[in-house]
Amino acid sequence: MKSYDTTIARRGADLAGKKVKTSRRRMSRQTRENIFGYLFISPWIIGFLGLTLGPLLFSLFASFTDYNITSRMNFIGLDNFKRMFTIDDLFKTSLWNTLYYVLFSVPLTTAGAIFLSVLLNQKVRGMKFFRTLYYLPAILSGVAVYFLWMQLLSPSTGLVNTFLAWVGIEGPAWLFDPEWTKPALLLMKMWSVGGGMLLYLASLQGVSASLYEAADLDGAGVMQKFFYITLPMISPIIFFDVLTSTIGSFQIFQEAYVMTENGSGGPGNSLLFYNLHMWNNAFEVFDMGYASAMAWLLFIVVMILTIINMKLGKKWVHYEGGDNK
Amino acid sequence: MKKGLIFIISAILLIGTLAGCSGEESVQAEKTKDGKVIVDFWSFWGSETRRPIIEKIIEDFNNSQDEILVKHTYLPWGDIWTKNLASVAAGNPADVIINDINSVAQRAENAQSEDLSKYIDESFKDQFYPHLWETVMYEDKPYAVPFNTDTRLLFYNKDAFKEAGLDPEKPPATWAELEEYAAKLDIKDGDRYERVGFYPLWGSIGAASWMTSADGGKGFIQDGELYINTPKKQEALQWLLGWKERLGEKTVQSFEAEFGSEQSNPFIAGKVAMWVDIGTFYTQIRDYGENMNFGVAPIPAYEKGSGNWSDGGGFVAEIPKGAKHPEEAMKFIKYLTGPEAQKYWAMKNYDNVANKEAAEAVVKELKGDDKYVYEASVKNLDQTQLFPVPVKYPDYQNRINPHIDNVLLGKTKPEKALAKAEKDVEKLKRK
Repeated sequence: MKSYDTTIARRGADLAGKKVKTSRRRMSRQTRENIFGYLFISPWIIGFLGLTLGPLLFSLFASFTDYNITSRMNFIGLDNFKRMFTIDDLFKTSLWNTLYYVLFSVPLTTAGAIFLSVLLNQKVRGMKFFRTLYYLPAILSGVAVYFLWMQLLSPSTGLVNTFLAWVGIEGPAWLFDPEWTKPALLLMKMWSVGGGMLLYLASLQGVSASLYEAADLDGAGVMQKFFYITLPMISPIIFFDVLTSTIGSFQIFQEAYVMTENGSGGPGNSLLFYNLHMWNNAFEVFDMGYASAMAWLLFIVVMILTIINMKLGKKWVHYEGGDNK
Repeated sequence: MKKGLIFIISAILLIGTLAGCSGEESVQAEKTKDGKVIVDFWSFWGSETRRPIIEKIIEDFNNSQDEILVKHTYLPWGDIWTKNLASVAAGNPADVIINDINSVAQRAENAQSEDLSKYIDESFKDQFYPHLWETVMYEDKPYAVPFNTDTRLLFYNKDAFKEAGLDPEKPPATWAELEEYAAKLDIKDGDRYERVGFYPLWGSIGAASWMTSADGGKGFIQDGELYINTPKKQEALQWLLGWKERLGEKTVQSFEAEFGSEQSNPFIAGKVAMWVDIGTFYTQIRDYGENMNFGVAPIPAYEKGSGNWSDGGGFVAEIPKGAKHPEEAMKFIKYLTGPEAQKYWAMKNYDNVANKEAAEAVVKELKGDDKYVYEASVKNLDQTQLFPVPVKYPDYQNRINPHIDNVLLGKTKPEKALAKAEKDVEKLKRK
C-alpha cells in the first residue's frame, strides 16, 4: 500500500516539474522486486558459493595435486587416479565391498518396503498401531542403533543367534567373520525400511479404487492386480526410492566406521567401504589430494549410474496423465 | 522502500561483523588485562577423573609465575587432531597441543608442528626415557616433548595357577612355557571352554607384537628397511595360528564378542587365566576385581635369552606450526613435562609418565599392589619399544593387517601372506 502511495506521490512530483532521482525512475518495479528477491535468498547464495561450490571446485583442483593440507600442493597431473588403479589394492577392495553392498541393499530394501507397505495398506482393525510399530525403527538412527545391533549380532549371546538356535540353526559369527559381515549389515539395513515404507504407503493410498473395481469385473486375481495395477501406479515412487537409495548406499560409511574395531574396516577388510577408505586417506594419513581424487571418481561413477537409471526408468515408470517425459 | 533500505544496511552490517569476529577475537585473546601472555592449550582430557588433574597442573603453573596465563581448552578425542590440522592450515592454531607420540615425524615432515631445538638445550632430553625421546626427533631436531607412555605386561591369575598345580610365583618366561601353562589352565566342559588359559591376541596386544618379539625385537620397518617377510615372523604367525586351532574358531569369536565392557572383562571375570594388557589395566582389576589374587610379569620371551619385548604408545606436547607464542608455550611445556607436574599426573592417574625422575619418585611413594604393578611397568619401559609411523610409509599397517587377518582366518599361508604384504608396503613407499 505504501509503495503504491509513494509512486503516486512521485508521479505527482514529476508533474509538478520537481527533480526526481533518475536512477530510481529507471529502475522498474520488476527490477526492484528482483533485487529484493536475490537479497532475500542471498544467505543461501553466499552459503552455496562459499561452503559448497567453492570447496567442490577446490577439491577438483586438489585431486590433481599431492595436497596434504599444511605443506604441499604440487600439481601431479593424473597420478592420483593412476595410483588408484595400479598401486592401491585397498581401492579395489573398497570399491568391490561398496558395489556388493549397493547391489544387495537397494533391491532388498525396496522390495522389503513395498511388501510392508502393501501389508499395512489392508483395511484391518488396529492397522494404525502396526503402521506406527513398523515405522518406529526409522525414527531411531545413528550410532545408538549400531551399538544395539552389535549386541544383537553378538555370536554367542546375541538375540539373533539365540533365536536361530531355537529353530535349530547355528548362527554365524556375523561381524567377526569376513564372510558374514556384509550380510550382517544388510540385515541391519532391513530394520530401517520404515522410511521407504511410509512413502509407498502414501502412494498406495493414491491409487484409484476404480482401477481395482474394473479389474475385479474382468476377473483379475490378487497377484494380477498387484502386478498390473499397483506396481505401475506406484512406479514413480519406486523410481525415486531406487535412485536415492542407490546414491545413499554408495556413500555408506558410518556403519563400518562405528561397528568395526577402530574404524579399521573389519576383519580382513571385509567392511572397508569406499568412503571409509577415502576417509582414512584424508584424515589418517592426510593424503587430501588422493582422497579428493577418490571423491571425484565416486561422483563420476554415481552420476553415470544415475543417468543409466534415468534412461531405464523411462521404460518402466508410469506417470499418470503424463507423456512419460 | 525505507524498510528495504534498513534491511540491506543491517544485512551488510551483520555480514561485516560476522566476518570481523574471528580476527578480532584472536587479537584480543593474546593478552590479559594485566599484561600476561595467554597460552592456548588444547587437550582431550575432559573426563571427570582427568580434567581436574590437568587443570590443577595448569593452575599450579599459572600461580608459579606472572608472565603467562595458560588457558585450557578441552576437545573430544579424535576431533582435537582434525581441528588442530584445520587451524594450522588457517594460520591460527593453539599454542600447545597434546598429540600422538607415534606420528610426530609425520607432522614435522608435513610442516604441522614447530621445531623446538632453539628453546631447549642438549641436556633437556636426559629427563626422558630414551625410547620416547627418539620418537620426537625428525631430521635431528625435536618437534615435541614426550608426556606419557604405556607398556604391555602379562597379568596372571594366581588362584587359577594354584588350582592348576602351577607355582603362582613363577609366571611363564618363554613361549614354550606359555603354551604349557595355558594348556594346564584351560577348563573345558565337553566342547565348550569355561576358562581359557591364554590366547595371544586378546587384551592389548596384536599379531605384530608377537612377530616382533620372535624376530629379536625387529619391527616391520626399521631404519627405512622392510622386515615384513622374515622367517621368524612367518614362524610367529604360524604359532599364532596354532593357538587359534587349539581353541577353535567359535571359542575365539564368542569370547571376543563379549569383550569391551569393564565389568565383564574376561580376565577379571576369571574366564581367561593369563592376559596381556597395559599397566593401567590394574586399575580395572582394583575397581572391579574384588580382591583378585593376580600377578604381573614381562611378556614371555620367544626363547630363553631372546629378550622380553613389549611395545608402547603415548602422547606428546607440541607446538603447532604458526603458533603465536612459541616461547611462552615452551615454558609451559617444560613445566608440564617436568618432574613436579609429571609426578602429580602419575600419582593421580596411575599412568606411566615420560619423565624418568618423576616415574621413579612415584614408585617410591606408592604402596601395596599399586606399587607392585607400577614398579613392574616402570621396569618394563627398558624393554619397551615404540613403532613410530615411518614418514615414507604412512599407511603401512593398513596394508599388512588384512594379510595377517587372512592367515588367521586360514585363507592363506604365512609365507605367501607376508610376501604379499611386503610387496604391498613396497608399492606404498613415498618418494
